[in-house]
Amino acid sequence: MVELVPSLLRQELTSLAEKDERIDGRGRWESRDIELETNCLYNAEGSAKVTWGGTIIYAGVKFEMRTPWPDRPTQGSLMCGAELRPVAGRKYEPGPPSPQSIELGRVVDRGIRESGCIDMDALCIIPGEKVLGIMIDIHVLSDKGNIFDACALGAIAALRTAIVPAERFDIGEDYPLAVSMTPTMCSFTRVGGRYVLDANEEEELGGDERIHITLGDEGHLHSLQKGLKGTFTPAEFDEILGVAQQRCAELAELVNSKEE
Amino acid sequence: MGGYGDVQLLRDDGLRLDGRKVDEMREVKVEAGVLPAADGSAWVKHGLNVAVCAVYGPMEAHPRKIQRQDRAVIDVRYNMAPFSTSDRIRPGFNRRSREISKVTAEALESVVLVERYPRSKIRVEIEILAAEAGTRCVGITAAAVALADAGIPMRDLIVGVASGKIEDTVVLDLDKAEDNYGQADLPMGILPTTGEIAFLQMDGDLSVEEYNTCMEYNLKAAKEIHELMVDALKRRYIEKNGGEA
Repeated sequence: MVELVPSLLRQELTSLAEKDERIDGRGRWESRDIELETNCLYNAEGSAKVTWGGTIIYAGVKFEMRTPWPDRPTQGSLMCGAELRPVAGRKYEPGPPSPQSIELGRVVDRGIRESGCIDMDALCIIPGEKVLGIMIDIHVLSDKGNIFDACALGAIAALRTAIVPAERFDIGEDYPLAVSMTPTMCSFTRVGGRYVLDANEEEELGGDERIHITLGDEGHLHSLQKGLKGTFTPAEFDEILGVAQQRCAELAELVNSKEE
Repeated sequence: MGGYGDVQLLRDDGLRLDGRKVDEMREVKVEAGVLPAADGSAWVKHGLNVAVCAVYGPMEAHPRKIQRQDRAVIDVRYNMAPFSTSDRIRPGFNRRSREISKVTAEALESVVLVERYPRSKIRVEIEILAAEAGTRCVGITAAAVALADAGIPMRDLIVGVASGKIEDTVVLDLDKAEDNYGQADLPMGILPTTGEIAFLQMDGDLSVEEYNTCMEYNLKAAKEIHELMVDALKRRYIEKNGGEA
């Protein structure tokens, strides 16, 4: 992308910010519309499609039977990865995983893992020999801004609707995976000098640093990440954390409403 | 083809395991314009297969060595999502997806009016989200609709279809079990208006008569799918124009 476009866009976003407006007419803490669909992929043991404004992602859960790590013989494992393939937008190129996609996958992974929503000991089949590995793969199909929140939402929704294919592994009947919590993510981007919730593509292009906050059921923090160049003050963080508390609870409610 | 003959694939009443007749296709659904980030896009569900395709371009061809002075190049990536099969696939390209990408690109180059866009590149991204035999054909169908949705001129809407042989009987549109335990598979990319073929692969064992029956089934199926593709594009056109045709 030519540098000229972001700098003109930056001027536009700054003048809008002075009037406390956003480029698509939303309020500062207003999200775009979200549609969440679960159990939408044949072959995945848990799946979700998230349509977040113009951003579209799919998340799929697969299980594998593996030998445990020697230092944790009674624990299964969880891995979450995100792919930013060229399908997602003009700016994405083919090639090995980009630093950006690795960051995305790892931030989503941490939020889920650190919330403790999966009991790793419950994934043990035979101590020291056989444990279940859970793999969440996120596929970004259309990036129109804020893929982080969409991916986190899809990942937890897919996980919460996952069925362990026990019959395929010869360990009894299929059963729903126990997930004790619904961690969700809220991301803020500095646009025109102040933070806004759920930045769209233009706001990301003409904006500055971003902050990702993942909160669990009690409003506890489970994962934080600051990305891109820029700094923020403790007072700014307090303000967005307050917004995140409310927003994450709404997102968790959306996920929980999809379960039978 | 697996060809391990012990599995019964035809029922005693002559129908297939999922109740289809020998010349009956799985249900096909087509939507155009499903990905806001893309210049053109399509979603195709064929039986349990789901493919999504995004088209970007025509754009500047990079790296420069791929440029052609007299035409556009078509850069196809066929990719299966890690969760698209019963055993998870490790992300990234493999020999199979590279081969399919290559022959699909060549098929599309034979229908797109590439000479209209010298030195440029058209990116076609085919993502398989759920796989149950026949994904390369579903990918071709999705690519054709996505290219049309992107407004790229073509000689025809190419359609991906396949026939094959199970228990010495020619059948249209193999499903997973039939693909695994059948005797032959003949996927094709057909231009339904003229009946020309732009994509062809085959493996297994077919007599000339059996091949001819496959060809007949494929042509018939291509015409049926073509209608669904045109309908999807019409719906998309009406939607884009605020409800007016």
